[in-house]
Amino acid sequence: MIDIRNLHVSVEGKEILHNVNITILDGEVHALFGPNGSGKTTLIMTIIGYPQFKVTKGEIIYEGKNLLNLEVDERARLGIGLAQQRPPTIKGVKLRSIIDFYSKNNPEKVDYISKQIEKFEMQDFVDREINANLSGGEIKRSEIFQMVVASPKFFILDEPDSGIDPEFLGKIGGMLTEILKPKKNQNQISTKNTGLIITHTGDILKYFDANQAHLMMGGNIVCTGNPKEMLKQIQQHGYEYCVRCNRRKREL
Amino acid sequence: MYDNRHNKEVQTNEEQFGIIDIEEKDILSLKENLPPEIRSLDEMKAKDVRTLAEVGMVMDESNRSGTYLCYGQCGFVTTQFIEGLECIPIAEALEKYIWLKEKYWFKAIRRDEDEIVEAISNSIPRGFFIRVKKGYKINKPFQAALYMTRKTRVQGLHNIIILEEDSELTLLTGCTRAHGTKKGLHLAISEIYVGKNAKFVSTMIHNWGPSFDIRPRTCTIVEEGGVFISTYCSTNPPRTIQMYPFTHLKGDNASAKYASIILGIPNTYCDIGGTIMMEGDNSRAEICARAVCKGGNIVQTGLLIGKGDNCRAHVDCAGLMMSNEGMIEATPALRALNPSARMSHEASIGRIAPGELIYLMSKGFTEEKALSTIIRGFIDPGIEGISPELDAALTEVAEISGHGEEWDVIPIRNR
Repeated sequence: MIDIRNLHVSVEGKEILHNVNITILDGEVHALFGPNGSGKTTLIMTIIGYPQFKVTKGEIIYEGKNLLNLEVDERARLGIGLAQQRPPTIKGVKLRSIIDFYSKNNPEKVDYISKQIEKFEMQDFVDREINANLSGGEIKRSEIFQMVVASPKFFILDEPDSGIDPEFLGKIGGMLTEILKPKKNQNQISTKNTGLIITHTGDILKYFDANQAHLMMGGNIVCTGNPKEMLKQIQQHGYEYCVRCNRRKREL
Repeated sequence: MYDNRHNKEVQTNEEQFGIIDIEEKDILSLKENLPPEIRSLDEMKAKDVRTLAEVGMVMDESNRSGTYLCYGQCGFVTTQFIEGLECIPIAEALEKYIWLKEKYWFKAIRRDEDEIVEAISNSIPRGFFIRVKKGYKINKPFQAALYMTRKTRVQGLHNIIILEEDSELTLLTGCTRAHGTKKGLHLAISEIYVGKNAKFVSTMIHNWGPSFDIRPRTCTIVEEGGVFISTYCSTNPPRTIQMYPFTHLKGDNASAKYASIILGIPNTYCDIGGTIMMEGDNSRAEICARAVCKGGNIVQTGLLIGKGDNCRAHVDCAGLMMSNEGMIEATPALRALNPSARMSHEASIGRIAPGELIYLMSKGFTEEKALSTIIRGFIDPGIEGISPELDAALTEVAEISGHGEEWDVIPIRNR
């Protein structure tokens, strides 16, 4: 599905990512761990195509196409979706504008979308301005709900579980379950969405089985392995444990 | 010492742009009684009907309580019989009702207010008279269209709207011109009287073009508990427009809201303001001015005057610069004449944040669609239940504004 090869990314002339390599196959969901400032958000913003993140070397191949030749909107229309951690507030523009946009582009999904609005109790949200006067948890709920509605083939969630109470986490977990539910494509073949989820706490991992986890530190992927095992080690011994572990792996 | 008088940036608007002088021959033409160009609305050409539809006037009146059309200099009224609603040409009304001259004709606006008012007051009365009788709430909007034809050089109208106690009316006014009209001057006086606990909602849509000069003069008097909501949207600005509607909240607990949405394009000058005077106790007022500048000059002013006890008011002027050319000047102003007045103002001018644009593009919106969506949000007047006609006009402003954006104004491109 997506193959990130030897990716180097700079912001305002300073290199943030150095030689990042990740491959996520169709239907897989990967977790991305890493301390603050390690480059996780830089990686996902680069995948989405935010122009301030300049790729100086490497490539991102998505379904056989090099994403670096495409604009942000072209990537989105290929089926890449992002639920941001700190999305902007857009005054006067209601969430309904985005929902209506998805409905208009996918008339066959109109019923599905209205059912999801009801199921996840989003009726009040859709008529509010995008991210205006929302709590941190509400912003996450709104962002991830858009992923439910858009159901992108490749979804990226930036810290869906940080800073929220258990009740909100349950709601977000419910949405994630919906995103991951196998869906029939145009040829009536059941397919599963592919994803990359950034998490600090790992709380969101309760709601799905991640296939792999990656640890990013200092702009590099320093370890790739079993998500639950890696999280356990990070929680018990800190991020440095993984670095030492990785070093040992290399020595062996 | 540096002489600022020749510095374009610091000159006042009057110095920089001037206010057009009305030519003597134009004033004289208002006194002429030109023969009607059509005998009924059915004689309008398809092109006229389409142009009028762009400003909200439709021939199918199933969703209208009635129609007034000023075609050139000739007025036509078609009303279904709706109890409590009356609309007739103003000249007929002046003959029919003696009290009209005594109580309402030039009673909200002085004849010598300015040269525009004076010119109309000395001309043949043209325009409409609308009255909603006591207690009647008209549930379908009334539509009025002021249409400049190719043969009309000047249009001068005097309209009177009276809402008696406990009545309600929504008025959709569309002002436009026939395609291919070379030049025109549109002058209009509107005197509006909103009675005790009455509610008047007015939506005006303008679609002119660079050959027109527009000078409306409006004054509204609102009695105790009355509500006046006025929205103005210009989808295609004239060469110059200057208007400062005045609303006098005379009675206690009266309220008024002005919303204006203006699109500026090169070689146009829009000077659009408004004053609301809160004389009654506990009166409320709000002015919301939005401007999108793709060129030309836009002046937004809003003055709130707090005179009665416990009046509350807010004025908000905001502008979006969509071009490296053009100017927006925003001047929200407050005047308190009573220590219990609580009034606030805000003004902001800026450009679209690239982050907002990219955010929508990351959802799959094209750049153009993302721009128009953001602009549509920016110009939303914040009025509940806006009419489909206004919604269409706002969408048109947003789409025109978002079209052909310059990259150096909003740097969002990847390559």
